[in-house]
Amino acid sequence: MNTKGNWMLILALSLISAPLVIMYGFQLIDSVSRPAPGGIIPQEWELTNWRFLWTSIDSARPSIWRVTFNTFVFASATALLVCAFSITAAYALSRLNFPARRFFLAGLIMLHAFPTITLIIAIFIVLQFLGLYDSLMGVILVKAALELPFGIWIMKGFYDSVPWEIEMAGVQDGASRFRVWRELILPQVKPGLSALLIFSFLAGWSEFILPLVLAPGADAQVLATYMNAVIADDTRPDYGLFKAIGMFYALPVIAVYLLFQKRLMNIYGGGTKG
Amino acid sequence: MTRQTLLGLGFLSPALLAVMMFFLLPVVLTVVFAFTNMSTSTGILGGEYQISESDLRRLPAVGVGEDAVALLAGAGYAVQPETLAQFAAEFGEDRAAELDKLHGGAKFDDQRAMERALKELRRNPLRKVRDRKTAADLFRVSILGQRFATRDDFALAITDLGVPERDRLALTEAAYTGWTFTTQNFELLWELPATWRYALNSVIYVVLTLAFNVGFGLFLALSTFYLPSRTAQTFRAIWFLPRILPPVLYVLMWQWLTWDQGFISAMLRPFGFEPINWMRHTATHAWTFIVLINGCVGASLGMILFSSSLRAIPETQLFAAQVDGANRWQQVRHVLLPQMRWPILFITSYQTLSLLTSFEYILLATDGGPGRQTEVWALAAYHTALSNYGGNLEYGLGAAYALALVIIGILLSALYLRFFKFSELVAKPRIEQ
Repeated sequence: MNTKGNWMLILALSLISAPLVIMYGFQLIDSVSRPAPGGIIPQEWELTNWRFLWTSIDSARPSIWRVTFNTFVFASATALLVCAFSITAAYALSRLNFPARRFFLAGLIMLHAFPTITLIIAIFIVLQFLGLYDSLMGVILVKAALELPFGIWIMKGFYDSVPWEIEMAGVQDGASRFRVWRELILPQVKPGLSALLIFSFLAGWSEFILPLVLAPGADAQVLATYMNAVIADDTRPDYGLFKAIGMFYALPVIAVYLLFQKRLMNIYGGGTKG
Repeated sequence: MTRQTLLGLGFLSPALLAVMMFFLLPVVLTVVFAFTNMSTSTGILGGEYQISESDLRRLPAVGVGEDAVALLAGAGYAVQPETLAQFAAEFGEDRAAELDKLHGGAKFDDQRAMERALKELRRNPLRKVRDRKTAADLFRVSILGQRFATRDDFALAITDLGVPERDRLALTEAAYTGWTFTTQNFELLWELPATWRYALNSVIYVVLTLAFNVGFGLFLALSTFYLPSRTAQTFRAIWFLPRILPPVLYVLMWQWLTWDQGFISAMLRPFGFEPINWMRHTATHAWTFIVLINGCVGASLGMILFSSSLRAIPETQLFAAQVDGANRWQQVRHVLLPQMRWPILFITSYQTLSLLTSFEYILLATDGGPGRQTEVWALAAYHTALSNYGGNLEYGLGAAYALALVIIGILLSALYLRFFKFSELVAKPRIEQ
């Protein structure tokens, strides 16, 4: 309707988006090329930056495949735990009537806003007590627990939108509440569950602070801490290598983003991250 | 209890267990640890009892009598039936018998005297220096440097040594190497000038980043609102990525942009600017980029939430405004913004809390530098308790830092619970949309 105004807007938006676009662009370019010395224009296209995939970049570092496997285990175990705990708890909070339900709901809302990162020192010591410090198992449990309030919150939203009539009909026909939940309600919230699964997987995949603090050893290293260690240990920054590792690390994230963009945009709308 | 109650509590219990384990317990423990002097050197699981040579000097100050200290310092090596038995087992019965005859019941003040006695045995002297040292150790009765696993073991040892009754309690307490309860963390926080700096840094960080987040998020939401949907989607995708990219990679991109051979330096070189690290050169540089790095992530949350509430505003209102001759700025000012009050308030209060406590991006970008100029409160807690160059991690002091944030967190989230109808504000996710 207002073409001239639109062009002005697009121009302004392009200008302020330029730094981000430049960073994305060079992230791609630099991972497969070598810039001229002291410059930024790519001089030669090559794959040596990806050498970390087939050789060990330095002696003390664990193999990238081992680290990738750890990251995958960490992210998927976290996602499964969050989903498993959320589908039951959210249903109880959304639909079932039991004593102190209001109290639990208020608790959930408070936990949803509460900044969990402040608890990390105490959690660090709890894991030492439990003997789970520096193990993948420990980080998985902690990450799943910290994501849980968000997961329950999201799942409760999905349960809330299922019409009561479905449940009424099931109960009228003589099914127990448990059976109604399993056979009638669960299929209704499947899309929500898959969105939560994807979201929690990505949250686990990107997590940095928890593995850094709770599992710093080489055996439990994940891609975030691996990449951070490579960057921190290098005396002369090799951005080609860093960016190639980053590319490798972010590929699943970008793939998931492209596939499920719309769903994710919605769930992030109710999200918690900074 | 009805079946429904059972089902409800049963369904809730796994989540409840996780919440107790990793929320309630840590909250309680943060309070407890804040009142201890727990650190790497005291250990976490409790300590042992040990008096070392260097401890002797501080003992009178904590109420141990001079004669008890002299006793601890003096008692060295004794030729007693127990120590002789050990000696006999390692160096032969003959030798032990001779030593018993010559020095039975004798005490030696230091190791050299003991070794001399062993050297001067007439029939079977110990000739090798190493042997004499090993043998002398067998006669050692001093408890200096010795570790006792329990309080009882230590009590027994000092009673044997002859430490007077009145000194035993003070001595036992001084000997304990584990953590103890104390309020000195809070006194220290109060006295250290750095504490106030960190608090001020946190305020600067939260205010600047918040202003950027909300302002920029609003601008992005409003400007993409007016654009054709395809163009709008492209821009939204560009601004959504910072939120979804792993933080380590996202900050790496900024490091590349700003390091002294990076993009900014390379672009400015033809204009005669010296290449510098644009992120770490001065405190101002560092703050600018910290706000930008966090701001781009926060702005994308603002953009998503604001966009969805803009879409909920009936278009007829805009048409009406247009008919009345309002230009775009007037539409935004008088029609759209007034209806965005609640989402803006929500984002502001929500992000205040999360910015106050988050330190991930600062840790990755500047690690509090240059100097400690961008060290915020939450990062100080992390550095004190979980990662510092000195190597002695002060869990107790770190917990005291964290406790302040935990209290603020609980108060603010309880406040939000009262003032916001959260269920209406947090947009209900609907996949089928």
